[in-house]
Amino acid sequence: MKEIVTIQVGGYANFIGSHFWNFQDDLLGLADDPHGNEVFRNQSLDTDVLYRSGETHQGVQTYTPRLLSIDLQGSLGSMSSHGSLYNDVSSSGPSYVQTWKGNVTREVSEPHKKNLFLQSLYEGEQKVDPTKKIEDKDLVDSLQEDVQFWTDFSKVHYHPKSLYEINGLSMDANQFNNYGTGRDVFSEGSRGEEMSERLRFFAEECDHIQGIQFVVDDSGGFSSVAADFLENIADDYANIPVLLYSARDPRHYMKPMNREDSISRAIHDAVTFSRLSSFCKLIAPIGLPSLSTSKVCSFLHIDDAKPFYSSAVYAAALHSISLPFRMAPLGPNADSRYVAGAVDVNGIVQMLSGQGRQSMVAILDVAMPAPLIGGASQQSFQGSLNSLTPDVNEDAEDSYEVESMTIHGALRSGGNHALISEVKDSVTAAYESSGKKPMFSHLSVASCPLPVPLPFPSIFGNCVGQHGELLGSPIPGSLPRRSSLDVHSVPMAARLRSSNDVLPFLDKRLSNLRKFGMDRGAAGIGLLQNWGFAKEEVDEMGESLSKLVLALNPYSQDSSDSD
Amino acid sequence: MSIKLLNPNAEVINKSAALHMNINAAKGLQDVLKTNLGPKGTIKMLVGGSGDIKLTKDGNTLLKDMQIQNPTAIMIARTAVAQDDISGDGTTSTVVFIGELMKQSERYIDEGMHPRVLVDGFDIAKRATLQFLEKFKTPVVMGDEPDKEILKMVARTTLRTKLYESMADQLTEIIVNGVLCIRKPEEPIDLFMVEIMHMRHKFDVDTRLVEGLVLDHGSRHPDMKRRAENCYILTCNVSLEYEKSEVNAGFFYSNAEQREAMVAAERRQVDERVKKIIELKEKLCSGTDKNFVVINQKGIDPPSLDLLARAGIVGLRRAKRRNMERLVLACGGEAVNSVDDLTEDCLGWAGLVYEHVLGEEKYTFVENVKNPHSCTILIKGPNDHTIAQIKDAVRDGLRAVKNTIEDEAVILGAGAFEVAARQYLVNEVKKTVQGRAQLGVEAFADALLVVPKTLAENSGLDTQDVIISLTGEHDKGNVVGLNLHTGEPIDPQMEGIFDNYSVKRQIINSGPVIASQLLLVDEVIRAGRNMRKPT
Ligand SMILES: Nc1ncnc2c1ncn2[C@@H]1O[C@H](COP(=O)(O)OP(=O)(O)OP(=O)(O)O)[C@@H](O)[C@H]1O
Ligand SMILES: [Mg+2]
Repeated sequence: MKEIVTIQVGGYANFIGSHFWNFQDDLLGLADDPHGNEVFRNQSLDTDVLYRSGETHQGVQTYTPRLLSIDLQGSLGSMSSHGSLYNDVSSSGPSYVQTWKGNVTREVSEPHKKNLFLQSLYEGEQKVDPTKKIEDKDLVDSLQEDVQFWTDFSKVHYHPKSLYEINGLSMDANQFNNYGTGRDVFSEGSRGEEMSERLRFFAEECDHIQGIQFVVDDSGGFSSVAADFLENIADDYANIPVLLYSARDPRHYMKPMNREDSISRAIHDAVTFSRLSSFCKLIAPIGLPSLSTSKVCSFLHIDDAKPFYSSAVYAAALHSISLPFRMAPLGPNADSRYVAGAVDVNGIVQMLSGQGRQSMVAILDVAMPAPLIGGASQQSFQGSLNSLTPDVNEDAEDSYEVESMTIHGALRSGGNHALISEVKDSVTAAYESSGKKPMFSHLSVASCPLPVPLPFPSIFGNCVGQHGELLGSPIPGSLPRRSSLDVHSVPMAARLRSSNDVLPFLDKRLSNLRKFGMDRGAAGIGLLQNWGFAKEEVDEMGESLSKLVLALNPYSQDSSDSD
Repeated sequence: MSIKLLNPNAEVINKSAALHMNINAAKGLQDVLKTNLGPKGTIKMLVGGSGDIKLTKDGNTLLKDMQIQNPTAIMIARTAVAQDDISGDGTTSTVVFIGELMKQSERYIDEGMHPRVLVDGFDIAKRATLQFLEKFKTPVVMGDEPDKEILKMVARTTLRTKLYESMADQLTEIIVNGVLCIRKPEEPIDLFMVEIMHMRHKFDVDTRLVEGLVLDHGSRHPDMKRRAENCYILTCNVSLEYEKSEVNAGFFYSNAEQREAMVAAERRQVDERVKKIIELKEKLCSGTDKNFVVINQKGIDPPSLDLLARAGIVGLRRAKRRNMERLVLACGGEAVNSVDDLTEDCLGWAGLVYEHVLGEEKYTFVENVKNPHSCTILIKGPNDHTIAQIKDAVRDGLRAVKNTIEDEAVILGAGAFEVAARQYLVNEVKKTVQGRAQLGVEAFADALLVVPKTLAENSGLDTQDVIISLTGEHDKGNVVGLNLHTGEPIDPQMEGIFDNYSVKRQIINSGPVIASQLLLVDEVIRAGRNMRKPT
């Protein structure tokens, strides 16, 4: 078993993470359910990769995500930062002060009200309610409007070392909105050390850590916190690969901007990408400006203004990509009935960034739901994938393209589970008939679909059936948005790919950095200084961005110099 | 956990309104913090919206925890937090003093005086007070053997403002011994070499000094000893785990044999390193009762652990970076980055190494070391907020002792300095000043009295009476502080109430700087602009 430590930094990263861990929690439950579907009972996925076993002081066994989540103080809503498992009642009760005999004052904040879902979760630990069905619908309905914090829809127990709150910032989340505001946050006081210590706690337990899965909300100050943290990690864990998802909430693009804002934004994006990419092995930028209207959401109803909704899609894709990391390696030819194509984090990193072209920027594609094999639309898996990475080309010619695809829970037309071999054949056939095949392609297949946990947003369109099968026509009488009560699981396809399709993304950041931060008299030079960057550092960032461009497009130099 | 202060969204507003906003914000912040001050102050328990508890009597901790929105308050808070970063103490006094400077100024400004005049007076008063501080301070000679008694008195004074008396007194000895342990003559004191470690323990509130190190992890092999005596300690930063090099990703190989061969070759390299350690162990320990412990900053994977365990070696992996340094200071030897050319000289020594397990938490004690220059203060407490508060107090105590050694001086506390300085300003300095700046000196002088006044107030004493009796006694030629139990004047020297010289100096220095800035506003600074701390 090779462990992964997951790190989530910033608001949106934690929204994504919250869904991600809900999927894992659901899978754990479904695996143990004797009446459950075979594909869930025989997942052949090693959950120990993502989870750790522990024990409280009272000797109670625990099983919790191997996770470090970092967010601003106050972002945990009604959840205690210590989690819920390890809170032993001390001899005297927590409000008794044992260190001071003089006056005590208590400042008690208004308790965060637990929403209907969390209330039921809490009650559910005590008793099972026979009138459950009706309740579930109320829960699901209430969540659609009621989510403010990522903890509002989390059903997972977290370890007390998992939730780290940044305090003492003297600004609120809205002001923490660019790279500059996050400068020094990591190094000030003992924050950096505390974060590193928590990571060390999880890493020390690992016998064969395979990698770190890192998600960062890259829209503001957290970019800089994450960059500093990543720099530390690169030092302390030199040989452990970091797979970085740099994520952006669509809400972020909805704010009106004046010229000053948009310059600041452009520089922020360039700096963020340049800094983050320099401390990881593979980076996948994710976050479409308008997820709801993108092709990804052909069968989904997203409200871009609700992070609860949009983050669910990214979480699903991350889940799919992580499956091969948890499959037991069986050797190249021996396939199990349930999984095929195991590869570890290092494998993915080497595959995508280590061959031929040394490009460490990956595009994340997803198909949610994945099409039926032999369905009426005759859609291939490859053809149904759409990018979650912003600013990319669609299907430019790239003879050096490398991809790693995961398909899981695939269904045949008619709704039966497809065999692993059928999935593979279908992929091969699609390549043959299209005549376009990447230079290198890796395929992982699992029979276990994406489970749809109860607190999942109601985002499915009315052409999505109960098992996520795509129907030719809307279900009669169904609401336009179908919920977790209607759709129980979803076949998925997701893909990481190294392709020159990502050039527009890189070009945009490079040219913005030049235009606003490097050219003589550029409008953002003062801003970069304010953020603490010396001219040489800016030049270095420009350099590293143009290297990334060059790796994908050897001819780019002429074109970018001329404009 | 937020305590809201005044209006958060200040737009740019006119001068006089801005000035009054600043004054109000400073007074507001003073109100929040002043109940903290001194050994009779109030401890605050903050309960957050999710039920998380924070316990603090420390200005610094409180300021960091309040989500302050008002830009003026933020500025003051930053000054106070900087005060703590620089000197480790005096945050509450700083905030209270700035608030009082503003309050005193308000009187004059309302009578039509220009803030500029006050600021000029502040400047004169500040310089005079700093000179006075030099005369007032009590020098402490720090030869080869520092005067332990005076260190203990300083530590005790600080600790008693954070913990109840007998608890503070128990810690006093621990803290002084801790600092003396790591002190090397002629070198600055690096407090990081005192590790502060905690354990949650249901019933106990207890703290002890471990002359040696406590690590928060244990060995990861069932056959390794849980307790070993007479131990060689190898402190290293060497990877003892199978490396994931570029070539061993599976798909690069056409056949399984090729891959297996690569994997085996990589494994051999790791094994070689482990064998070198084992060789040294055999050479030094076989036939003796000596043991061998490896503490590694990098990983040790199960096959390596197996090899070590079979050779009777205890191995710990992923030690904190800073513990590499501490281990060497505690046990001797050196921290090695390679296992080539290992010799006995590289190794440290500890009389006893043992493991302590609490649920899933493991601790390794490295004790009975010869001549330690690093040590650990181990705190036991029933819950996280109690532990956190004790930790804060311990840090304050350590800083106080370090400051004393480095300052080679202390200041008589309990308000003695403030009363004396105030009388000096009013009686001696004021008359030398031309014109209305005199009033600035007077405002400054009166503001100093906020310290004894607040100490009195927090003790339930009448502030007027206290000030009259203190100044009266002072004018008879005595140096007097306030007895918080009786309200009578006392001699702080006799009572052993000492504050740090550098802390006081910093308060006198930074207080008027910020107050002046706040008085001379043209417009209100908008929040969130300046992210950097004032220096
Ligand atoms: N036994 C005592 N009797 C009278 N005054 C005392 C006594 N002990 C300490 N003091 C005074 O208490 C003040 C320090 O109080 P305290 O430590 O609470 O605040 P601070 O140092 O300003 O801020 P903080 O410690 O919160 O950073 C000093 O003025 C000191 O002289
Ligand atoms: Mg103090």
